Amino acid sequence: MTVLDYIWMGMLAVFQGPEVFSILGMPISITLVMIFSGFLLGIMVGATPGMAGPVAMAISLPILISVFGYHPDALLPVVGFLIGIMKGATVGGAVPAILFNTPGTPDAYMTTLDGYPMAQRGKAKKALRVAHLSSASGDTFSDIVLFVCAPFLAILVESYLDLPEKTALLILSLSFIAAVIGGSPAKGLISTGLGLLAVYIGTGEDFYPRMSMGTQELARGFPIATSVLGVLIIGAVFKGLDELWHERRSKGAIAPVHDVGDQRLHWADIRRLSPYIARSALVGTMIGALPGVGSTLAATLGYSFGKAQHEKRKTSDQTAFGDGAMEGIASTEAANSSVSGANLIPVLSLGIPGNAAAVFLILAMESIGGFNPGPSVFKFSADQVNTELVIAFGLFTAMVVANLMNWTIGGLFMRSMGIMIKIPKQILLPSVLLLTLTAIYVQETRIEAIWFALGFGVLGYFMRILAISPLPFVIAFILGGRLEDTARQAYSATGNDPFFLFTNPIAAIFMALALGVVLYSARQTKGAK
Amino acid sequence: MTPLSRSNMFLGLACLVFALLVAGIWVPLDTETGLIEKVRRRSMIGDALAPTVAAFFIGIGGVLLLLFERKEADQPRIDLTNLAFVGVQIGVLTIGFLIMLYAGPIAVALIDSGTEYRLLRDTAPWKFIGYFLGGIFIISGLIWQAEGRLTARSLLIAICVVISLIVIYDVPFEDLLLPPNGDV
Repeated sequence: MTVLDYIWMGMLAVFQGPEVFSILGMPISITLVMIFSGFLLGIMVGATPGMAGPVAMAISLPILISVFGYHPDALLPVVGFLIGIMKGATVGGAVPAILFNTPGTPDAYMTTLDGYPMAQRGKAKKALRVAHLSSASGDTFSDIVLFVCAPFLAILVESYLDLPEKTALLILSLSFIAAVIGGSPAKGLISTGLGLLAVYIGTGEDFYPRMSMGTQELARGFPIATSVLGVLIIGAVFKGLDELWHERRSKGAIAPVHDVGDQRLHWADIRRLSPYIARSALVGTMIGALPGVGSTLAATLGYSFGKAQHEKRKTSDQTAFGDGAMEGIASTEAANSSVSGANLIPVLSLGIPGNAAAVFLILAMESIGGFNPGPSVFKFSADQVNTELVIAFGLFTAMVVANLMNWTIGGLFMRSMGIMIKIPKQILLPSVLLLTLTAIYVQETRIEAIWFALGFGVLGYFMRILAISPLPFVIAFILGGRLEDTARQAYSATGNDPFFLFTNPIAAIFMALALGVVLYSARQTKGAK
Repeated sequence: MTPLSRSNMFLGLACLVFALLVAGIWVPLDTETGLIEKVRRRSMIGDALAPTVAAFFIGIGGVLLLLFERKEADQPRIDLTNLAFVGVQIGVLTIGFLIMLYAGPIAVALIDSGTEYRLLRDTAPWKFIGYFLGGIFIISGLIWQAEGRLTARSLLIAICVVISLIVIYDVPFEDLLLPPNGDV
């Protein structure tokens, strides 16, 4: 088996899966149908303020698992659907940002700065076309980098990192995530610590489940769905309802927008936008490849770099950033879309999720089984087939298929989604809450899961009120078990050396970096005030 | 002028105290093995180490908050309205799920006293009664909280949403159980 054989098998797994129907004699596989459905759903939820990709992923997961079951054949259709949502939501997020000055997803916030002024000038369709072109281009670049870098990085990790280094790398990832997400390293560390504490309750190697206070409920630990969906989704719904409650009286009517003049995107426009798209795609891909740094930061950086460049080059007749510049939309959308491919690099090569969408991909893989993200996935064994590697290339193919859908039908579908803004949040949020709680119950089938989820929801609400990002909590919850297992193995493998994290040079460098990144960010935070 | 919020200082102190309580009391008293354990002359990491590390993260976060962000200008603030708001939400949800748990068995007891609900938990319409009534209570209750009034429109929306969820999660799948049917 050569590398090309593996790539070919991965592609075949996507295109030659169980046939759903055929078009002109050409069979259409279930995986293709699922990617397509996920992509359309993703655009819809992205275009709906109050919903986001992770919400749709959370709600769909139990249904998908129920339909496809717990066997490796289910992986590609289920994860393909989630990948479709992830990609579609990023594109769809630009729709309400441009048409109604309301970002559908947090990373589309910067799109409002130029998209809405363009729409106000009667150039809404052109703004949407710029957003789509930039988004699809950034996404393509990111997917290419994923294809090339993920196997390479995984092989590098496997060659140079032994158990102590892997333990230190997990600690470094957690510290990095704590330090950079949310703008406060102190609050990031608190969020990480709470996530670790939650995952360690009711687990351990001893017969007595630790920290369970002698109760049967805690002895089984917190199911991953209750903590992840509780903190991420239910907490966000509570916060959203809270904001509605406070802002009920200050809500104004939305003024209708009428298109004026030429709405097409010309070659001259594309040439003008290309440098901005290229720069932001690079920024977004680099940010996406770092564990824990999400698309919001990528969008902000892409916009800032684009703005600096635009101010240097712009002529007096060109619109400035913030006043409705096409380049502003291009810089933001290319950056936030290029995160989606690249953030699968830490997911597949290290098993470390980069953002909330990646959390649900890992959750799906863990629930279904048969695929354990990490360096072992990329073992190019010549004598026997490494099925995990075939699935990995199948997932890459799914990314490319979703990207092709983005290029072909994404723009058209995106431009028809303006209607989603009309769903009132006070109806949408309670419905999402019941939907999420129902999804948790059908997965766990015990009422304690609901109480746990509500408890985590309250925690997520107060974390948001106190400006503590919930994402480090979720990532720590997912990585906590692996961190402990790796540390136990490393301790045994080093002959019970209690200082194994510091006696090995690479591990010591990782630990120094972990400490350094937290202290540096803390000082930066203080300096910025 | 609004007085400066000192929430970071209180949060830092609370986290520090919580971390000390976890590492000093909860972990030692509620974990059977220590930080490092010796089993048959072999040394191994005990169950207490990982949660102690978690407490360390929380404690360090608290210390950094006290050292670097104590005097930050734009600190978030929690007031009684936040607590009241979340209290009402949890109240609505708790009552809604209690309705889900007990409405089905009560309906069976009233209409068909000879049969246990447990035996009917996979039989329509009995299996939907709790979810239907509890779901409507939750959605209309939360819309009421957000809009400040309860209207026939919100009740109708709640009914439509709950019916849609039943259609999505229960009708096509034999192995999925809506609340509370996994517990009875």
